[in-house]
Amino acid sequence: MISIAVSSQKGGVGKTTVSINLAHSFARAGVRTLLVDADPQGSVGLSLTRQSRLLTGFYDYLADPGIPLERLIVPTRLETFSLVASGQASDYEAGGAGMGAHLARVRAFLRSVAARGFDLCLIDTAAGLFGVTGDVIASSDAIMIPQQAEPLGIRSVPKLLEGLNRLRVMNPRLTVLGVCLTMVQNDLAESSEAAAALRQLLPSEMVFQTQIPRDGLFVRASARGLPIGVLEDGAGAQVVFDSLRGEIEAKLEPNGAQNALY
Amino acid sequence: MDPIYPWLDPIEVRRLAERLMKPNREPTTTVVDAGFDEGFVGYASGQSLPENTPVTTPVMAPPHPPLPPAVTRLIPEPVPTQAPHSTLPREVAENPTSARGPFLDRINRFRDWMRHNFSASGIFILDREGAVIFDETSHGRLHFLARSLALASRRPGTSTGNVHVKISAGATLEVIPVETAYGCLVLGAVVPESLTPASVIAVMEALALVASPPSES
Repeated sequence: MISIAVSSQKGGVGKTTVSINLAHSFARAGVRTLLVDADPQGSVGLSLTRQSRLLTGFYDYLADPGIPLERLIVPTRLETFSLVASGQASDYEAGGAGMGAHLARVRAFLRSVAARGFDLCLIDTAAGLFGVTGDVIASSDAIMIPQQAEPLGIRSVPKLLEGLNRLRVMNPRLTVLGVCLTMVQNDLAESSEAAAALRQLLPSEMVFQTQIPRDGLFVRASARGLPIGVLEDGAGAQVVFDSLRGEIEAKLEPNGAQNALY
Repeated sequence: MDPIYPWLDPIEVRRLAERLMKPNREPTTTVVDAGFDEGFVGYASGQSLPENTPVTTPVMAPPHPPLPPAVTRLIPEPVPTQAPHSTLPREVAENPTSARGPFLDRINRFRDWMRHNFSASGIFILDREGAVIFDETSHGRLHFLARSLALASRRPGTSTGNVHVKISAGATLEVIPVETAYGCLVLGAVVPESLTPASVIAVMEALALVASPPSES
């Protein structure tokens, strides 16, 4: 099993949108995928299940060693696609402690997920690289970083890189899949310039070729509780996430990790 | 208008990014000899050395510079004794037939010294395996946090350093790895605020001496 944390320094950059639709793309390709909502805001659950706030989830698992994984898994209509909501407990109720406090439980969670037969565990984390998010990154095989294509967002990149370098001390095997530009508006000069500047700033292998455009379709999909690919006019947007999936598969290939997916 | 460069150092960003994309080899784990010699009988109760068994002293680290007076007062006069042992119930520790030496007394005095000088509480000591040698917290989460922080503070080719993390208003967990004759011990202590570098050095030297084996008689 491969575990991928979807994380960013800033909030509102599109982590949940990327997580949901990327997970859906993998599941459609036949990969047994578990999408985990590790954001106390419960954004994944709010997007995909109308009763997510009632579900036992990830933070309940962290707070209570007696909760089995089986109780957390929510199946979907797509057999290869399952979810774990964020849960009733919050980061604060789970202790609110600094990084490291939940490391053992996060790792136990991932071991249970692997034992359950999933090929891929995609984890939508809260903004920032500290607390439970830090523990998730320190436990995952890989990380991808959605990054909003706008000047203010780009300016947070140095802090992001510093944080990730520190986390790699705790998790030397962490593979940085790269930065995925989101909310790209090619018809807005500031957005396209910010995207171009980021590509110039970072090594080419660190920035995904695939860019996620800003599109009202994502808001509609979230309002209906669906991945964008199942909307009537969502096929075009689905191609974007299939392309992103292909890039991730290619990045995992040199490690042989792709074999763990299929 | 340049959206990026007035706000950050592109060379530094590039350096950070390239470091991140470089495949990270697993750090090689060096099994450090803990320094226990044949005279060490372990922490189990009821064991004792045969009479006249020489207790060889492991190779000591180079001599330290003179300690602050507060630290030297912690160290008792060398007493011919058996190898130090971990904490045990008081009734066992006082049993003259058990192999309990003054190690527990030294650790208790060290604990008192920490309390007096740094208002430290919740003191615990972990060995190189992460097992608890001394603990007055019974708080497993603090132990786990200390182990994780001690591990994260290691840098290849350098000695371990102390780390601290704020755990609540007015309380900081200070984690200090200390190389001793018996291997690396990790000291955890809850203090009102993080220790100064000079205080950390004093604590490290104190614990290293407290944990040092007795000299040969």
